[in-house]
Amino acid sequence: MELLRARRGLLIGLVVLIALVVVLFATGEEQALVIGTISGSAYGLVAVGLVLVYKSSGVFNFAQGEFGGVALATLYLLDANDVPYALAVVGALVAAVVAGFLTERIVVRPLFESPRVTLLVATAGVALLAIAIQVWFFDSQGRPIAKAFTRTDRFSVLDVQLSDQRIWLIVTLLVLAAVLGLFFTRTNLGLAVIGASQEPTATELVGISVRRLSTFTWSLAALLGGLAAVIAVPDTGSFTPGVMTSNYLIPAFTAAVLGGMTSLPGAVVGGVLVGIVQSYATSASIFQDGGALDVPGTPGTLIVFVVLVGVLVVRPQGLLGKTA
Amino acid sequence: MSVLETYDLSIRFGGVQANRDVSVTVGEWEIVGVIGPNGAGKTTLFNMVTGFYTPDTGRIIYRGRDITGMPVHERAALGLGRTFQNVGLIKGATVRENLITAQYLQADYSVVSGMLGGARSLRTERMLRTKADLLAESLDLGDLLDTQVAGLPYGTLKRVEIATVLATDPDVLLLDEPSSGMGPEEAHRLGDTLLDLRQRFGLSIVMIEHHVPLVVRVCDYVYCLDFGEVLTHGLPNDVRNHPQVVAAYLGEDPDPAVVELESQLESLVEGG
Amino acid sequence: MGAPVTVTSPDAAGPVQEVAEEETPAVTRPGRFRPSPLGWVPRLVVWAVIAWVVLIVPLGHSAIDLQDFTRAVCYAIVALSLNVLLGYVGQISLGHAAFVGIGAFMSAYMVTTQGQSFWIGVLAAGAIGGAQALVLGGVSLRIRGLYFALVTLSYGLVAEENIFQIESFTGGGAGQQAPKPQWFESEWRYYYLCLGFLAIVLLLDWRLMRSKGGRALLALRENPRVASTFGINVRIATLFAFVVSGVIAGLAGALIAHNDLGVSATTWNFNLSLVFVIMTVVGGLRSRYGLVIGGAFFALMPYFLEKIPGLDNALAKIPAPFDLTPELAPLVVGPLLLLLNLIQFPGGIGQQLRPIARWLGGHRFDLHDRGLKEVQITDVRA
Repeated sequence: MELLRARRGLLIGLVVLIALVVVLFATGEEQALVIGTISGSAYGLVAVGLVLVYKSSGVFNFAQGEFGGVALATLYLLDANDVPYALAVVGALVAAVVAGFLTERIVVRPLFESPRVTLLVATAGVALLAIAIQVWFFDSQGRPIAKAFTRTDRFSVLDVQLSDQRIWLIVTLLVLAAVLGLFFTRTNLGLAVIGASQEPTATELVGISVRRLSTFTWSLAALLGGLAAVIAVPDTGSFTPGVMTSNYLIPAFTAAVLGGMTSLPGAVVGGVLVGIVQSYATSASIFQDGGALDVPGTPGTLIVFVVLVGVLVVRPQGLLGKTA
Repeated sequence: MSVLETYDLSIRFGGVQANRDVSVTVGEWEIVGVIGPNGAGKTTLFNMVTGFYTPDTGRIIYRGRDITGMPVHERAALGLGRTFQNVGLIKGATVRENLITAQYLQADYSVVSGMLGGARSLRTERMLRTKADLLAESLDLGDLLDTQVAGLPYGTLKRVEIATVLATDPDVLLLDEPSSGMGPEEAHRLGDTLLDLRQRFGLSIVMIEHHVPLVVRVCDYVYCLDFGEVLTHGLPNDVRNHPQVVAAYLGEDPDPAVVELESQLESLVEGG
Repeated sequence: MGAPVTVTSPDAAGPVQEVAEEETPAVTRPGRFRPSPLGWVPRLVVWAVIAWVVLIVPLGHSAIDLQDFTRAVCYAIVALSLNVLLGYVGQISLGHAAFVGIGAFMSAYMVTTQGQSFWIGVLAAGAIGGAQALVLGGVSLRIRGLYFALVTLSYGLVAEENIFQIESFTGGGAGQQAPKPQWFESEWRYYYLCLGFLAIVLLLDWRLMRSKGGRALLALRENPRVASTFGINVRIATLFAFVVSGVIAGLAGALIAHNDLGVSATTWNFNLSLVFVIMTVVGGLRSRYGLVIGGAFFALMPYFLEKIPGLDNALAKIPAPFDLTPELAPLVVGPLLLLLNLIQFPGGIGQQLRPIARWLGGHRFDLHDRGLKEVQITDVRA
């Protein structure tokens, strides 16, 4: 039965993708496919972190964006102090992991038994604190942030430059998706994480510390958030405190919901889909001023909202998730 | 004149046929028992009758009116009251608050006028409170009016629940295992209470029960369900001794010694 | 008179026993405690002090300070509005800044662009607050609790980046002006006007919870199945609660707009929505005085920080870029207080102050009275 449902989800996803491709080419907006895949890769990375935490503890982690924010701030600081870029990146990722670790220890552990809503609000509080600290350090202005790879003209697809930075992003996502997929299905540790989420008592009885697993999961999720941040945001040229939450968290949540909150591959697929749809909305002329469906402000934001509500109303389990 | 009838109610969940062609009739002022082993579909039947589930096929007729598609709160307004297996009360509120909230349908003023403090709403509120207190007293709950429901022992909770469902001013009471958690003594008194309530309020009662002596003593008619279907129905003693019913509860070929012992125990309780 | 107590004692020999009336000491059902006339004196003194602080003290302050005080009153109203969703219905809204902001813009729009009076602006603000809340409420009926929180978050962003960018309505990037109403043009008078609104909202909230509407909400929050067997239409009740919350939020927005003499889109962002949730939870769900204190406290945090002698100098010593501005205080203190609240003090400030509040209301002072009910933001139907 599960397989049937998954197949149905895959089918729907495939149909949606084909429909998207057709529409994009027909309206001359095919570039959105490429741009969307790039931004979607970042959403996918963040979304995988969200799904990871949700699968293992049922928590909607509102701080997932700001784990990346912490990484960005660290990257900026280290880079500004002439630390070699590679080391700065490592330092940034370490900072993200520390943030995740601390969050798990200080916030999640004491509330382990609490209703999931309490944890949702608690992680939102963590996000706010992280943003506040960033604003404290950097005030709310944007700061320029350097990329890792500066070569921009390696090749282009559909007239869109695929800089090295962008290739790095997409490759990272794919590699990570594959690695995590194997990890959760083939390794003992991975299976333990999944098992602990479904049967914590049984897991403890078998001698596995559920608490240690929780720490591991949150640290891993934070690492993913950090990766997304340090690869994707420098590509835009600058970082602003709170950017991870305002620009990445909601599309990532939408991606996770679209893919199915319990499906890691779904998060990847969802990320790319959301990225493409959002990119289309941003550049398509009908949504611009004067167009037929003139949307004030940023059309991308509205369309992400529509997708979120649409999925939740029509097919709450998303493409590949389990039915509630 | 029957007050409640179901015709061929069937419902399926995923791969499980929870009820099949269940037809039940409840006459005015009757006390009808619904018995059967666990998983026989008794609570599912209640859920359909009260409106929490929609049957796949079949009808539910209440006082000649087809209520099959009606939402739960409308059925409550018509006079269908029910209790739940795991005690349907507002645990975070006191006994009195539960009793007052349950009288929602008798609060004869608009919500807005309540917010504005209209005279009628104030009068009605006083009346509701008085009725709540009286109801509690009549079920020996007067001392517990200001106690939060959450801390009360299970047997007391069942009594509070009965008081609460009475507060909704029902015509027909659907009780889901009212004697669960009660010893033979308390269950006996429950039987007295039910008979008394039927008399005083002119109620018809349908009760899911496992406590056979209570059923035999109090019910006018009994339905036995098994595997989602009506196995048999009739007078309590006839149903109780029906071989298929015995088999359903005890498994095939029940030990006659056990059956004999059971009936001996029953007569002990009833006689004592 | 003790109630008849029955005792079951399974005797080896005989059947069960029934004892009609045990010799329990006469338990008097506690009558309502009423303080003696002398007992009222300290209570009235405290009431007088509170009244003095709220009504008289602000008079001695500058206009700028008055603006802060008025904002505190408005935030209290926001907390009461958010409490209807969070505390009475059990739904999370992480986009409440949108509810309030839309009211702010609506009132400014009505007064500045449409030339209407302040009162029409307030009315319109409440109306649009209620209308959008109704729509979101409808959505909430179809979506499970945790996911609805996501929807509100996303909606808050849509408000910030789409709705508030509608040039004709909000003036786009420049924002809208919002002058104060006639007869209330001075900051002091406007403060009293807002206090008046707060009093009305408190009264309505109090009446609501003492009548069938409020009971219906509390019932459906904890146990919607049982609530419907009481005859409560769960859908209508939920929508009603959303509308009430939205109207009050819109009202608060209008008051804030005219307090600041203008509205701009950047104020109403995700950070503010979170601050709103935190101040409501920390204030104490379902506790009116807690909510008012929570809202006021968060609004006045920058003000208090500035007043602490020496803090300014100490902060100035911190080298740039680490300079700490008072505006950041709620964003930092908030999450810390929230954590404390969630882990240790779920009832918030309201629960901690309950003994005092009960005493002021004419009851005995009971240090251990922490309220009958378990207060958690937990009953959201996830």
